[in-house]
Amino acid sequence: MPKAPARPSGTPNVAAASREAFAAWVDEDPDGRVFGQILIRSASPAGYYLCHEDDARVASLELYDDPRAAREIAKLTGAGEYRPLKSSPNLRRGWELRVEDARGLAAAMDYLYPAGVVHWYLYREGRLEITDYRENAARQSGIYKRIQRLSDEGVQNAARACCEDAVCLKKTLWNVDAGTPLEMDRGNGEIPCPEPCSVFVSFARRVRLFEREKRRDLDDAGLSPSEREDLAALVEAAAGGAGGIKLAREAEFEEPLNERRLRYRKLTLLPKLRPEESPKE
Amino acid sequence: MKALVIVGHGSHLNEDSSLPVYEHAARIRERFGDEYEEVVECFWKEEPSMRHVLDTVESEDVSVVPAFISEGYFTQQVIPRELGLAGPVTRKDGKTIRYAGPLGTYQGMADVILERAEDLLGDKEVPPGRRALVLLGHGTDLNKSSGGVIYLNAGRIRERGLYDLVEVGFLDQDPQIGAVVENLEAENVVLIPVFIAEGWHTRETIPEDLGLTGEVTRRGSKTIFYGAPVGTHPSMAPLIAARAREAERETEIAQSPR
Repeated sequence: MPKAPARPSGTPNVAAASREAFAAWVDEDPDGRVFGQILIRSASPAGYYLCHEDDARVASLELYDDPRAAREIAKLTGAGEYRPLKSSPNLRRGWELRVEDARGLAAAMDYLYPAGVVHWYLYREGRLEITDYRENAARQSGIYKRIQRLSDEGVQNAARACCEDAVCLKKTLWNVDAGTPLEMDRGNGEIPCPEPCSVFVSFARRVRLFEREKRRDLDDAGLSPSEREDLAALVEAAAGGAGGIKLAREAEFEEPLNERRLRYRKLTLLPKLRPEESPKE
Repeated sequence: MKALVIVGHGSHLNEDSSLPVYEHAARIRERFGDEYEEVVECFWKEEPSMRHVLDTVESEDVSVVPAFISEGYFTQQVIPRELGLAGPVTRKDGKTIRYAGPLGTYQGMADVILERAEDLLGDKEVPPGRRALVLLGHGTDLNKSSGGVIYLNAGRIRERGLYDLVEVGFLDQDPQIGAVVENLEAENVVLIPVFIAEGWHTRETIPEDLGLTGEVTRRGSKTIFYGAPVGTHPSMAPLIAARAREAERETEIAQSPR
């Protein structure tokens, strides 16, 4: 069995402490708190109400009273798409969850934003351990080992494409490595992101595949095969009219019409197509 | 306080992969909640990640059970690495973490496979003739354990003499499942996928490759009964709990001074 590397850790009762601290934080504000896309309000005489932040004034919500109902709430988008990343800004609306106490609140939050409350607590305490990209990549194996070879520029662009608030509400705390900070909008939300997640690792693998082909296979216009493939797919889809563009699933990075993949193209392909314009907006 | 942590593979693309882990966790909470005050799910490709799940666990006494069929890349490399485990017992951050073996090698697995087969046949008319049970594994030429666990269970079931024949077949190694089913000398073939979850293989590639039309396919003199994967059977929940207890027992013995 391989030797266990160092990993983020807390004290034995960090789970209990985070639960109490989170409930107290919610109690402090009579208007409630927003965590990710959830509005949490204290109930009287005890307990908490949770709903989508955009549903704060909606009267006819579907009511739940089991904290574990949060798993079903968090599973699919409003359009019925599977949500592989719970911090994506695509939580469905139309529900309200009533929990009895701090324990119920923590149980519900652990399904809505897994490990979010404990990371929130450790971050506030100054005890959240951060794992930078290079350290995370160094321990990958199998099909993900290749992300070790992703360039710094590739990590930067992958993080901008994969982690900004438009696609993930966590606040990105990790860097490329200790001496190379991420140059991106890290986000303003309450949920810290201490380490590249499995969705990011999978995306980084795809970006590494793009990097490799670029060196070998550019055409006369300077486009790589996958860039041409994505452009062709976009043109084909858009020619079908407003209903023609159906994006691929959220983490289906091998598909041209994946949102994060297209965000990456905006960063790396647009400057090639419009060299007179700045690469950034 | 005691915690049971179930580790699943999970998926970036669909909910099928993690579903049995959530369902078994719910069953364990209901049936063994007095024993395990915390039952927690974590995944390789979903959240919470193995990397961070232990921070969400309050108990000091933690058993980790991998919801995987066989020993291999995940149980031997990925899970220990991501959870920070040093062996069968790891002490860190005030917790004692025991690491159990995978589900497929556990002796109770043969019973769950048989239950799955009985459930499949229970409400159906089975034509007269010989009955063959075929355990269908993924298999891989890269690791002998993947196929080994299928042979292990076939052997255990064969000893009970409940079926005229007990055979194995694989997707990615020999003997290939198609040829096994084709060449079986039995009128009734009961095919049980030894997989953890429903997915692309159980829903698409297997039925397509074998020309199955549903739970029951009649072809010539053969009737093929195709079961759901064994890993989604409700009896996997007590098996997971039993695996955890076994790890607790074995590590107690290993640690005792005498």
